Amino acid sequence: MRSRSPTRTVAPRSLIDIDDLSRDEIFGLLDRAVSFKQTAPPRDLLAGVPVLNLFFEASTRTATSFTLAEQRVGADVISFAPGTSSLGKGETISDTAITLRGIGVRVIVVRHPEAGFPRRLAEAFDGHVVNAGDGPRAHPTQALLDLMTLRNEFCSLERLHVAIVGDILHSRVARSNIVGMTRLGIDVTLVGPPTLLPDAFAVDGVHIERNFEAVLPRVDAVMMLRIQRERITASLLPPLDDYTRNYQLDRRRLDMLPDGAVILHPGPYNRGVELTDDVLDDPRSRYVAQVGNGVFVRMAVLDLLVNGARAA
Amino acid sequence: MKTLVRGGRVVDPAQRIDALRDVFIDDGVIVEIGERLAADGARVVDATGAIVAPGFIDMHVHLREPGQTRKETIATGSAAAVAGGFTAVACMPNTDPALDSPTIVSEVVRRAHAAALARVYPIGAITRRRAGTELAPYHLLRDAGCVAFSDDGATIANARVLRNAARYAIDLSGPFISHCEDAELKGEAVMNEGRNSARLGLEGSPGLAEDVIVARDLLIAEDTGKNWHIAHVSTARSLDLVRWARARGVPTTCEVTPHHLFFVDDRFEDYRADGKVNPPLRDAPDRLALVAGVRDGTIDAFATDHAPHGADEKAQLLSVAPVGFSGLEIAVGAYALAVPDLPLERFVALLSTNPARILGVPGGSLAPGSPGDVTIFAERPWTVDAYRFHSLGKNTPFDGMRFTRRVIATIVAGSVVYEDGRVTPRPARDEFAPRPTEVAR
Repeated sequence: MRSRSPTRTVAPRSLIDIDDLSRDEIFGLLDRAVSFKQTAPPRDLLAGVPVLNLFFEASTRTATSFTLAEQRVGADVISFAPGTSSLGKGETISDTAITLRGIGVRVIVVRHPEAGFPRRLAEAFDGHVVNAGDGPRAHPTQALLDLMTLRNEFCSLERLHVAIVGDILHSRVARSNIVGMTRLGIDVTLVGPPTLLPDAFAVDGVHIERNFEAVLPRVDAVMMLRIQRERITASLLPPLDDYTRNYQLDRRRLDMLPDGAVILHPGPYNRGVELTDDVLDDPRSRYVAQVGNGVFVRMAVLDLLVNGARAA
Repeated sequence: MKTLVRGGRVVDPAQRIDALRDVFIDDGVIVEIGERLAADGARVVDATGAIVAPGFIDMHVHLREPGQTRKETIATGSAAAVAGGFTAVACMPNTDPALDSPTIVSEVVRRAHAAALARVYPIGAITRRRAGTELAPYHLLRDAGCVAFSDDGATIANARVLRNAARYAIDLSGPFISHCEDAELKGEAVMNEGRNSARLGLEGSPGLAEDVIVARDLLIAEDTGKNWHIAHVSTARSLDLVRWARARGVPTTCEVTPHHLFFVDDRFEDYRADGKVNPPLRDAPDRLALVAGVRDGTIDAFATDHAPHGADEKAQLLSVAPVGFSGLEIAVGAYALAVPDLPLERFVALLSTNPARILGVPGGSLAPGSPGDVTIFAERPWTVDAYRFHSLGKNTPFDGMRFTRRVIATIVAGSVVYEDGRVTPRPARDEFAPRPTEVAR
């Protein structure tokens, strides 16, 4: 996708998508996350900094992970799930931002069903905004934890080949990973049916492949995305049997995956749809490592945004 | 009252005039075009160095009254019209209530007359409440002043209803005007479908959503024989369909907006709704096809789709922010910028001669006996400042841009209603009070 790399000497104020980070900043964040994993950081990194978790959309993994990360760096954590109808729709975004700053919030971790909400909020908010997922647009901390997981497996990410499989069109995880992976020199192949993976996704460094089995033998990692059943009623998919015939990762296809490859999944997964139970039992599956890394990545992001250069 | 427009270059495609001439208006009507006419007690408007054209007609505007007067009123919209060089506008029926009854239409006509600026021609609804099911009373609407019929943004989904409407209204000269967007293909789209929508994670509407309705409506036009106008074409394929229909003898015309001629779908990086409009801004090949369609004559009319909204409304999230933006006050400069080097005679034809012909309204010519409606413009650089619009809608993607062509003065029925940035209503006693019931049957 777009490879507009930021050039600056100071740390970014907010993290809205991966393209807010330069290549060096991404590596700096990953190094920092690894160091936090090895040695617990001092608990006063963000001592007394009021952090608001503002989730307009339900979340289990991400909300828990952020909360834990915030507590481990000593922030004052406030969590609020306003629901999509009230705040942010009724009043203008800038009014929301000014109100929250007036209360004293310095960092907002925000999830919203609409693409672009965190960017609009960050423009109006005199503080830091971390995007915890906006509609189908971006989920930068998920992409960072995926990169951290891959980096733990492979000595170099350069020329690594990763396939992302499934509902690319509606996936913020895919979009952020496409940007992050291509920025770090990873070859990305997208796999899925044309209704969930339009040709418009083919850009520099990103290939589209409809034949999953042709891709499997030559990847270093495969990322399986969740298929939402409502896509069927939206006439994007026929009955699931037809989808799973082409794109489900099952026992037979696992055998086509190289031994040294790994399997990623951002969760939540639908057993029997994009993957079978065999996948979760497979030694190449890295789902648990991914969610574990998420906490350290989020600690590193908060540290970078609030404390700036110290983290770089 | 007499008015003499002196010293300008008169460009009147209807009379094939392009020469230095004076124009004399008396009692609201053009009485003479000639060289060095005597003032004879008339107010003299100096047009030296400027172009004098028959009054511009914007056949696609939204005046928001009744029902949404926070966005615009007939008075403010009329002021915006004359400030933009338009002596007449045709207003779409998507008001609240819709323009689907003669009572409401008469009230619009009355308020436009009270504003005493531009002429305002209402466009009646095709179906009651623009709901797409029951036919509106076309003949009563015409008697009340409607010059065309459209359900505007509410594309009539039911082809049977649309065909019956066209058959019933076949004896009326006012065209049917189609805003072509298939609701299902469009979905919840906020922009054009393509690489940018894929990358930004925004739902896009494909050009196909327009094309299928253009094709259907042109087939219904052929089937019924009804004269048909396609509003704001935005795709290359829609233009091809218009060419195809014309080759088959279908009585069809079409218009294009300044924004579709100039912008493409790369304006959503900031997730702001400034460029959100229906149909959406398309990609570069479509845009270039529209420019070519202006040059080769496929496109008959320039129409702005002036769609004013409050700044706070446009500042909302992309999904809920309203579609459209103001167009009347940027039109002359924007069209000149979007289609550079278009012959002046064509420029005037698209803004005056052709809209008058399509709608069947007076004007579109400076021939003696025509209404005393004149637009004077010149090649003079200026910078758009939406904050200074006469319209209540202060949004336009052209804001801050530098234009080279601007309106100098606007004359309606012999009265100078706009000059030097000032809007002045016509005198109370008006020769051109609308008397729509006298329209010939």
